[in-house]
Amino acid sequence: MLEVEHLRVGYGDAMVIEDMSLTVNEGEFVVVIGPNGHGKTTLLRAISGLLPLKRGSITYRGERIDGKPTESIVGKGLVQIPQGDMLFPDMSVQENLLLGGFVLPSRSERLERLSQVYEIFPRLLERKEQQARTLSGGERRMLALGRGLMTRADLLLIDEPSLGLAPVLVDEVYDRIATIAKSGITVLLVEENFAHVREVADRVVLIENGAVVLQGSVDAVLNDDAVTATYLGLGGDS
Amino acid sequence: MNAILQTLVSTIVQGSILALISIGMTLVYGTLRVLNMAQGVMVMVGGFAAFTVVDRTGASPWLSIAVAVVVTFLLGVLTYYMAVKPLLGRPGVDFEMTAFITTFAVATIVQNIVLMIYGPRQKPFDPLWPGGINITSDVSITYHSMIMAIVAVGALVALGLFLSRSRYGLAITAVAQNLDAARLMGIPARRVYVVTMGIAAALAGIAGVLLAPLYFVYPNAGDLPLLQALIVVIFAGLGSVKGTIYASYIIGFLSAAVAIFWSSAFALPVLYIVILVVLVVRPNGIAGKPQEARL
Repeated sequence: MLEVEHLRVGYGDAMVIEDMSLTVNEGEFVVVIGPNGHGKTTLLRAISGLLPLKRGSITYRGERIDGKPTESIVGKGLVQIPQGDMLFPDMSVQENLLLGGFVLPSRSERLERLSQVYEIFPRLLERKEQQARTLSGGERRMLALGRGLMTRADLLLIDEPSLGLAPVLVDEVYDRIATIAKSGITVLLVEENFAHVREVADRVVLIENGAVVLQGSVDAVLNDDAVTATYLGLGGDS
Repeated sequence: MNAILQTLVSTIVQGSILALISIGMTLVYGTLRVLNMAQGVMVMVGGFAAFTVVDRTGASPWLSIAVAVVVTFLLGVLTYYMAVKPLLGRPGVDFEMTAFITTFAVATIVQNIVLMIYGPRQKPFDPLWPGGINITSDVSITYHSMIMAIVAVGALVALGLFLSRSRYGLAITAVAQNLDAARLMGIPARRVYVVTMGIAAALAGIAGVLLAPLYFVYPNAGDLPLLQALIVVIFAGLGSVKGTIYASYIIGFLSAAVAIFWSSAFALPVLYIVILVVLVVRPNGIAGKPQEARL
């Protein structure tokens, strides 16, 4: 569904990703794991067209999308839920959600999606008139997820949904993400903490210094003692 | 008492017109982070468009407002393509500063083209509604100044509804609040830039027609409005819509009060003193926040 090949990307002259290749198959839940500052967010920004590629290609459903503007990539159903929520702080919850459905042409369709999102996140319905800036951390994350679902997403890119959340909220957020994935949406998620995703991931991709070092099923990765010790901080005791 | 009443009336009229001109600069700064130095000539061009329609065809000055809106909207769009778009997303270019200069260049070019076509002489423009009423024996309000206030406030309310209710209006606000998030929602940022620059210019164009009967129509008619709008948006805090409205009426009040109680010659110098003090005390203006860079 998504093929990233020999990706080279960075900011100015500083390359964050030197050469990275990655594939996501339809219906899969793929998690990219790596330490902070090793290119996870950069990878997602490049896929969404927010960062120009220095080299390589990105193909989505057989069509090159690198070089295309972000809005046309979103229009194809490749939607990103960015790190740190990136809400519109001075708008209401409902306005944030409606903007999430910007690419939907008809108003009735936007309203229909809106009621579906409220079904998944009843808390957002309670707070629909509230300014996004006044929400709690957990609610903000739910709003960011809900906003991403307003579009007809086929492939959802999610950037560290656990960031800055209390452990109990992390579980809740991953619970919702698992529900979303089960509804048939393909997910490419990046995360620093392996423990959060071992329940949900179909496949795990470990990256370091902007390159893939290992990938495979959760079990396969866990059975690689050297890897678990070095990259996952689990000490090989699982 | 009469002087106070006069000041009040003047504040409402001047403040509304100032808001109309300045809000365009605020919208463009909000979405693009560009201080649009072509906003002043839009006032002038609006006046000339209306003058030309009335002078050549004898049409109603009300119709000429519509023509001025269309002409200035298109000129705003043209300014985007000439002065802003070529600079977007260029690595190593100080976008804010360069666009500040290129929009100023467009303004100067437009001004000189108008000078070549129409000459430097001031052209009269009739009030949209002649006459007036006396409130007291000394204080009178012309109908035209009432119309100025009504049309300006009406345009601002329409703009407010557009920004808060319509899909495209919300998109403009979204781009201003968080560009990357807006793009990730599939909002076409560059189309939002074009529309914003067109709307900003059209608002100034309306102001130009309203001001024409007071200050005549001539190629430099946009200079003072630009200066005043700059004072307002900096005083307000760049990019803040609400701040711009408040600031417009505060600045409108100050210049009216200085002109009426002292001398109109001192209005501008007093405003500059005020702006200097405000910027030293609150570098981001009364409602501004530090801003992120544009791509």
